[in-house]
Amino acid sequence: MSRPKVAFFDFTSCEGCQLTVVDTLQTHPELLDAVEIVQFREAMTEKGEDYQIAFVEGSCARKSDEERLARIRQQAQIVVALGACAHLGGINAIRNRLPLEAVVNCVYNENGDWSETHPYGRPRLSDRLINVEPTAKPIEAIITVDAILPGCPIDREEFARVTRQLLQGSQPRVPDYPLCVECKFKENVCLFQRGQVCLGPVIRAGCGAICPTYGESCEGCRGPISNPNMDSMQSVLAEAGLTADDLLSRFSMFGTYQMMKLE
Amino acid sequence: MSLRVISMDAMGRFVASSRSEYRVVGPKPLHGQYIFGDVESPDDLHLNYTQTVIPPKKYLFPQREELLRFKSGDGEIEPVFDAPPTILLGLHTCDLHAIRLLDRVFSSGHVDQHYRRRRDNTLVISIECLRPCSRHSFCKSMGTLSATDAFDLHLTDLGAEYTVDVGSEAGEALLAKHAKTRRATDDDYQRLNTALAQKWPHFPYRLDFDVSELPSLMRTSYNSPLWKDLGERCLACGSCTNVCPTCYCFNVQDEVDFALSAGRRVRIWDSCQLDEFATIAGGHNFRKTRAERQRHRFLRKGQYQTDAFGLLGCVGCGRCAQACLAHITPVDTFNTLHHERSGGAARPKGGAA
Ligand code: SF4
Ligand code: SF4
Ligand code: SF4
Ligand code: SF4
Ligand code: SF4
Repeated sequence: MSRPKVAFFDFTSCEGCQLTVVDTLQTHPELLDAVEIVQFREAMTEKGEDYQIAFVEGSCARKSDEERLARIRQQAQIVVALGACAHLGGINAIRNRLPLEAVVNCVYNENGDWSETHPYGRPRLSDRLINVEPTAKPIEAIITVDAILPGCPIDREEFARVTRQLLQGSQPRVPDYPLCVECKFKENVCLFQRGQVCLGPVIRAGCGAICPTYGESCEGCRGPISNPNMDSMQSVLAEAGLTADDLLSRFSMFGTYQMMKLE
Repeated sequence: MSLRVISMDAMGRFVASSRSEYRVVGPKPLHGQYIFGDVESPDDLHLNYTQTVIPPKKYLFPQREELLRFKSGDGEIEPVFDAPPTILLGLHTCDLHAIRLLDRVFSSGHVDQHYRRRRDNTLVISIECLRPCSRHSFCKSMGTLSATDAFDLHLTDLGAEYTVDVGSEAGEALLAKHAKTRRATDDDYQRLNTALAQKWPHFPYRLDFDVSELPSLMRTSYNSPLWKDLGERCLACGSCTNVCPTCYCFNVQDEVDFALSAGRRVRIWDSCQLDEFATIAGGHNFRKTRAERQRHRFLRKGQYQTDAFGLLGCVGCGRCAQACLAHITPVDTFNTLHHERSGGAARPKGGAA
């Protein structure tokens, strides 16, 4: 059996999901016997353009990204969104509510107009923003996506499982039920019982409820389940003392793009 | 069978000694609640405990369990059994009643070999509840506040000693081998009777009707407007069923290796409250709405299990009420249906007695 050719691509992201892939290749070396990796900037120098499966990390945030995504879509039989940035827009989309100049000021302060580390010296702000899209988007806003690997970063076991399912020729399935399921399997004491809050009841399981397991609220990096009961979730959070603003900022961390679509 | 007495100290030595032959599991504190876990030493004993997050059912029917391994080439299939000799120590009587139901469910018709193997290798030591475990429990209303015949040994705390009710030959042999006990005297019987008589007034009745009416109440409640209300509040998070000692729905999945040559079949707890639960081949979902799923859940608890196995599907442990962030509880649900039917005034929501 010839091994399917696989390529990894990165857009606007922190590369943490690719790092998790590198990590997975070490814990599951069988993967390397099952596929042939032809392009993976984070791990190798070769850049093969002949591939069947494309894993795409990062949000679409620059004007040039759309064309690059379209080329990937044209070549690949299967496109997988790798991680929250590609799947949801994620952290990058937090900026979508503000004008770009305000975002630059917020991140770089009054020094926003120059950067010592910029390769071309100190280009003017307006020049540097020329290629930046006003909204960061999930890749499915641009191209059809065949499978998702949610999470910030992705879950190592889920990456291995989804890859196995792709090799088997079946449609990969990631959970579409709330995080609370896995949280209860782990027998955690619910954070709401401990005076904290959590987004678990509307967020997609699959990470093993890792944040509540360590006593932290789920922030929703895997995105909402397909049929969340948002009204009831809002009452639950309001009862726990969250104001409407708190609510908005909780859901904004990874869900700004989705919330703005609903507004 | 017979009644024996064991001192607190002897209890600790009993656990230490049993560990040479058995995995001993019992309640352990965690963030203000309890969970069942391995009792490593007598210091780990917390028999005076409140409700655990999930029931001890997990030792008979684990959250995730490997059923068999297969090879695709020669079609070789090998069942996997992981059933170490185990002592479930300190079960409350509601959980004991739940195991009685699970025993019937998994042993009728097509016997579940995995459940059976674990159950046969398990000794159950239950303990009498002398005070309510939580404001959510309603065991007295459900008739589960005293022991049923599923135990091997049953303890009652008399202060410095426990009485030990011996319920099976296996339990008797365990005591003989690992514990220092004495035969109960007339005085011990007297003290036991006093403790039992004194406990009942501490427990409220929380159902507004007699539990023997529950199956018939559910039979006429299919079209109640309550289901729509519950459906609007329900988050479809599955917590209520995942913490329930009598729920036993599961999903079976095959996991293959990268070379696609071998794999394993696992079963994982499932929940009738999840969106995808009732989706069958072709994508049709025969319980699409949360309202339909809530109705299904409560009909199972109050009627279907009695029809099929002769026992109620709810033992009143209150775990689901504690876990539900939307405050959907069996007590409120059953009482509301009762008042709808009898035309009386419904009690206020959250109706703790
Ligand atoms: S801690 Fe969060 S995920 Fe866990 S049960 Fe509570 S709400 Fe659900
Ligand atoms: S618990 Fe929530 S925030 Fe944490 S990894 Fe899982 S989905 Fe992401
Ligand atoms: S715990 Fe409550 S919210 Fe969650 S599925 Fe059960 S009834 Fe619905
Ligand atoms: S339905 Fe709720 S109260 Fe009844 S046995 Fe299950 S968890 Fe306990
Ligand atoms: S529900 Fe009743 S029987 Fe069960 S632990 Fe609580 S007090 Fe004991």
